[in-house]
Amino acid sequence: MHVEAPQQILLLLIILFPLGGAIINGLLGRYMAKGLVTLVGVGSVALSFALAVVSFVELYGLRHESETATLVYHFYEWFSLKLPSGNVVAVNVRFVMDSLSGVMTLIVTGVGGLIHLYSIGYMGDDEGYPRFMSFLNLFMASMLILVLGSSMPVMFVGWEGVGLCSYLLIGFWFENRDYAAAGRKAFVVNRIGDFGVLIGMFILVGVAGSFEFADINSAAMAGEFRPDFPVWLLGVAPSLATVACVFLFLGCTGKSAQIPLYIWLPDAMAGPTPVSALIHAATMVTAGVYLCCRLSPLFITSDVAMSIIAVTGTLTALLAASIAVVQREMKKILAYSTVSQLGFMFAAVGVGAFAAGFFHVFTHAFFKACLFLGAGSVMHAVHAHGDADIFKLGGLRKALPITRLTFLASCLAIAGFPLTSGFFSKDEILLGAAAQIFRPDDMLMTSVGWFTLIGLTLAAVMTAFYMFRLYFLTFTGEYRSADQSGDHPYDAHPHESPPAMTIPLVVLAVGALTVGFLGLPHVVPIIGTHLSDYSWWGHWMEASVAGQPVPEQMYIVNLASGLAFGAMAIGISAAWVLYRNKSTDALAEKMPARLYQLAFDKWRVDELYAATIVNPIKNVAVVAGRADMTFVDAVMTKLPSFNVREAGRILARLQNGVVHVYGAVVVVGVVAVLAWFWTPHSRIEAAFEGTRVELTTPQGLGYEYRWDANSDGEFETQWKGTPGTTFEYGHDDMRGIAVFLKNTHSGIEHRIDVTDEWMPLPIESVVPAEFLSPRDTGFEVRIDGEFLLFRKAHARTKLSGMKEIRLPMGKSGRLGPARVSSRPLVEATLEVRNAFGNTRRATKEIALPFGFEAPTHASLTRPAHEVVR
Amino acid sequence: MTTHYLTWLLAIPAASALVVLLVPRSWDVAIKRFSIGAMLVELIVSLRLVLADYSDAGYRFVEHVAWVESFGISYKVGVDGISLWLVVLTTLLSPIALYASWGSIKTGIKGYALSFLLLELGMLGAFVALDLFLFYVFWELMLVPMYLIIGIWGGKDRVYAAVKFFLYTMVGSLLMLVAILYVVASYEKLAGHYTFDLQELSSLVLPASQQYLLFGAFALAFAIKVPMFPFHTWLPDAHVQAPTGGSVILAAVLLKLGIYGFIRFAMPLFPVASQTIGPVLAGLGVVGIIYGAYAAWVQRDLKKLVAYSSVSHMGFILLGLFAMNRNGISGAILQMINHGISTGALFLLVGVIYDRRHSRKLDDFGGLAKVMPWYTLFFVVITLSSIGLPGTNGFVGEFMILAGSFLSRTAIGFGSSWFIMTLLATTGVIFAAVYMLHAVLRIFWGKIVHPENESLTDLNRREVASLLPLIVMVFWIGLYPKFFLDKMNPSVDAFVTDFTVRYYEGRRTGEPRLVDFEELEQRIEAAGGLAMAEPTHEDAQ
Repeated sequence: MHVEAPQQILLLLIILFPLGGAIINGLLGRYMAKGLVTLVGVGSVALSFALAVVSFVELYGLRHESETATLVYHFYEWFSLKLPSGNVVAVNVRFVMDSLSGVMTLIVTGVGGLIHLYSIGYMGDDEGYPRFMSFLNLFMASMLILVLGSSMPVMFVGWEGVGLCSYLLIGFWFENRDYAAAGRKAFVVNRIGDFGVLIGMFILVGVAGSFEFADINSAAMAGEFRPDFPVWLLGVAPSLATVACVFLFLGCTGKSAQIPLYIWLPDAMAGPTPVSALIHAATMVTAGVYLCCRLSPLFITSDVAMSIIAVTGTLTALLAASIAVVQREMKKILAYSTVSQLGFMFAAVGVGAFAAGFFHVFTHAFFKACLFLGAGSVMHAVHAHGDADIFKLGGLRKALPITRLTFLASCLAIAGFPLTSGFFSKDEILLGAAAQIFRPDDMLMTSVGWFTLIGLTLAAVMTAFYMFRLYFLTFTGEYRSADQSGDHPYDAHPHESPPAMTIPLVVLAVGALTVGFLGLPHVVPIIGTHLSDYSWWGHWMEASVAGQPVPEQMYIVNLASGLAFGAMAIGISAAWVLYRNKSTDALAEKMPARLYQLAFDKWRVDELYAATIVNPIKNVAVVAGRADMTFVDAVMTKLPSFNVREAGRILARLQNGVVHVYGAVVVVGVVAVLAWFWTPHSRIEAAFEGTRVELTTPQGLGYEYRWDANSDGEFETQWKGTPGTTFEYGHDDMRGIAVFLKNTHSGIEHRIDVTDEWMPLPIESVVPAEFLSPRDTGFEVRIDGEFLLFRKAHARTKLSGMKEIRLPMGKSGRLGPARVSSRPLVEATLEVRNAFGNTRRATKEIALPFGFEAPTHASLTRPAHEVVR
Repeated sequence: MTTHYLTWLLAIPAASALVVLLVPRSWDVAIKRFSIGAMLVELIVSLRLVLADYSDAGYRFVEHVAWVESFGISYKVGVDGISLWLVVLTTLLSPIALYASWGSIKTGIKGYALSFLLLELGMLGAFVALDLFLFYVFWELMLVPMYLIIGIWGGKDRVYAAVKFFLYTMVGSLLMLVAILYVVASYEKLAGHYTFDLQELSSLVLPASQQYLLFGAFALAFAIKVPMFPFHTWLPDAHVQAPTGGSVILAAVLLKLGIYGFIRFAMPLFPVASQTIGPVLAGLGVVGIIYGAYAAWVQRDLKKLVAYSSVSHMGFILLGLFAMNRNGISGAILQMINHGISTGALFLLVGVIYDRRHSRKLDDFGGLAKVMPWYTLFFVVITLSSIGLPGTNGFVGEFMILAGSFLSRTAIGFGSSWFIMTLLATTGVIFAAVYMLHAVLRIFWGKIVHPENESLTDLNRREVASLLPLIVMVFWIGLYPKFFLDKMNPSVDAFVTDFTVRYYEGRRTGEPRLVDFEELEQRIEAAGGLAMAEPTHEDAQ
């Protein structure tokens, strides 16, 4: 890993400024004047933005020299891991700005800066203002670490850091416990995703041997992720890339609010509106898309994972849009709109149009932040808390002219009105999907392409519709809260917001209208002229993002543009007809009531999760908590203590002082002892000294012994009082031959009684099974005169060069990893007689540790196992 | 030149205990100041240990004096990269725990201080002992003061909890004593003399069949101490009844001795058994992670919740330990420190509200963020450390453990059982967030519903002073763990190599025998390391 000199200290400062701001405001803010808090909070982000611009300009300049130029700052080594290969992987705190992270840094600091500015007006009067500024700054720092981190773990610091800030800011008004609970829900759901990121990270480092994005991507391009995953899942063998990507994508569904983990985002609207704009619309929720783009060379190696992403994105876009269509509250509509737009981005990623997906991240940051801030401005104007019901608003174009115009501009952009930013980015996404349809010979991607194209077009229709429904109901017609007599919660005299709030609105609205031109396509639909040689955006992104090539065939371009334009036109027209200058929900009257209610209840997905996942887990937890103090404790503590206590009680009962009970116990004992003495006990032990064998047995009181050492049925010694005897064995005494095989690796020992027929040897003792091919039958052995003869039996083992091995009797040697010894077998019998005249026999087979010069063949004619008991 | 830092480390609490014993019981203030002062001196002495060079394995500051020569018992102490940070953890947390106790302990000051000094002596002795007999003495010595702390200064059911704690731990250690004697006797048969010296005993290779039983005896003692599921039921009782200072030491240091015992004694002495049984223990660790988290979630008593979270966290440490690679073991050691810091701090924090309200029930709180903002900040930071948020200490440890478990075995890194164990263990990350944030929600957020909470005062100076060092450690380890890891990694690497060699030697043997491992390891090193040699054919002669 080469570090490019000079170190770009600016990258570190971009992060440290907001971090420092967070620490100052967090610890000291409540003792500081409000102006100072503002200076620290907004100033730090402004500085950070300025440095980001400087860095970006430098990067832009470097791009002229090298296509893959990056800015790098290596801070320090965090910790390191050791891989099974023995390589040590350092996890470095290291920041990189390339074309992808450069743009993202500008979005984060730029849009973030504007939202900080807006917060002065929006949150200035809140008693928790310093805390708010501190959290917001902390978020900026975390998000910048996420974006600029050069490796997975550093990215993960930011990834979880933004989750923390999200938790803190959603629950900012902590006195409302529902808000705090919404924050917790966001954190926990995100943690489910983080679980996926962690596992994905481990797979990546296991395969690529590095945590750095650059190394992982080059490993992916070298095809290192193509092999099958070593652990089979559900009976199929996906590739490493598929498994890694699916786990990572699980993380993305959490952070970026996709099916199945999108459920936290609508609840997250409990946070103050600037938070919704910054975290839950413009920046944090796009982190998942950013991660996919960051690792695009990896994702693109797995068609399966890509298809999953495309389908999930499309379904999310549709589902969320269908909910947004019927909601009544401004921020809720915008929240579902965000989920839906994120679905667009993932659909783009899934069809391989990474640059297009990220372009939508870029444009979306402008118009969605503007929409949220606009909603905040409206709520500020009418003194709404939490959220604002659009059916109680209306006609606000007069009172809020700036807010209205900026809101309209953003609505046009998100709907995809020609030449606004959303028009260009949405067009590119549909183009990417359409391109998949015409990919030859790929059933999977073709069908995914169709599904995505149709799904996204429908979602685009709904997007245009619900956005203009929101716009018309809020800004056109009559103000429905002007008459304070009814049940209207809002202020009768709305007023335009202060400049701190309107300036960001204007800047963002101008962005929403114009930034699309950065992604001006190189082919104009219908006319077919080439505007320029390339799309600036596509070219800029090429250096760090992989992807399918953008198609240039006119029929594909026209199809995508036609669908995008048609969707926008249909959506806006329908909203115009149904809602312009109206005050009632025309859709609710036209739709079947039950369907409307179901959509209004968000298809009851939260309830579904509660019934199928959350409650069962909770119930298990309750059972575990109860069982621990009852069942587990009972088994591990109460039962043993009960046993000891009861045993003690029984033993205590025996010590009862009744003499005849003691007497009975003594009698039982005496009888047992006598019974043991009634018959003699014997056991043979053999000790060798040269060819002499000393046979002994433990001595018993009053015992007499006689021996038949060679097992010919005749006792060699007479009855005598000493237990031992010695005997010199000759080959006539032999009853058989045994081979002892001991594998020195596994420790397995085998004994085989050998005859003069070929006999197979147990394979696992001669050679470990992994050195054999499946049809090998290993080795055979037989007696050949004075030798044991070993040969291979159809073995193609790695023990090459072996033909036949002769082993003299009584000697040992090695056969592969096995230690082989051949030993003659003899049998000794001992008879013991005790004082009662009872006798007992013991027989022992003895394997002699020495051989004989010439064993007689005759004694071996019978199979050994018949001789030896 | 021999230095005597470790002897000083043991002598200071022993001598201080003697002094405290001799002064009249009415000198409360003097006893308080003196005992804390002694512990601070102790802390400074232990910091001297950190300055040594740990760039290669082996014991530092070794002292070896014969004690009972005829039985080979000696006073032998030393530290290496594995025990170093545990020693420092002990010397750091002992004064903090004692200092924090003065908020609630108003009676029997003398006895309390005495118990704490003896407890510190026992813990430090167990961490530095290199002689099995000495270790056993210190191991048992710890029990008595802890028994007294729970039994005398504890809550309502303190006697039940103290006796349960004592008996449970005692059962395990008695079996361990039998196993120690067996090992020593086997050594004597071969070498001709008795010894309890760990390094000498390490040359003993026992056959697998004997290793299983002996490992079982050691493992039971250590598993109870950890505590590993299902031997954990003494822990919630002990924690709930113990006074704040007792809980802090119990969670932060005593539990670590179980894991330390595995690393220092059970695994090197019985490698075959620990390699075979290890995955089972790791599996029980995983069960503990999930089970502990579940049980913690539904507790109504905050202290019990933290106690069960310990079961969950210690499960991670077991998993890392038996992954048998550097990531897992270094991660486990680091996580021991982390758990000591964050759980110690959590018990301190629980003590803060218990001192004010004499309740630990979650239902009795809510909305405290309003009246106790600093307390809230401290609690949330420690919570984040406990759930392993990156940037805090908990993350680095958990990450290394999970990576170690995931990358255990085989070329690209995993066998299926370890893959599945890692998956399950990683869900612990989710559950940790569930139960800890549940507690935070119930205590801090929402409106104040109990009027008596309106007038709660924020952290006082003593509480801040006892918590602040721990907060500093949370971020120090979280942001620059390399400082700590660099000192332990060489020892851990050597431990893994040594373990592997011992494992293969243990597999080979049918009879007990003595092996000069130092020489063998040098030979293996010279031959190019530990790659398993392919069996070669050697013609029979």
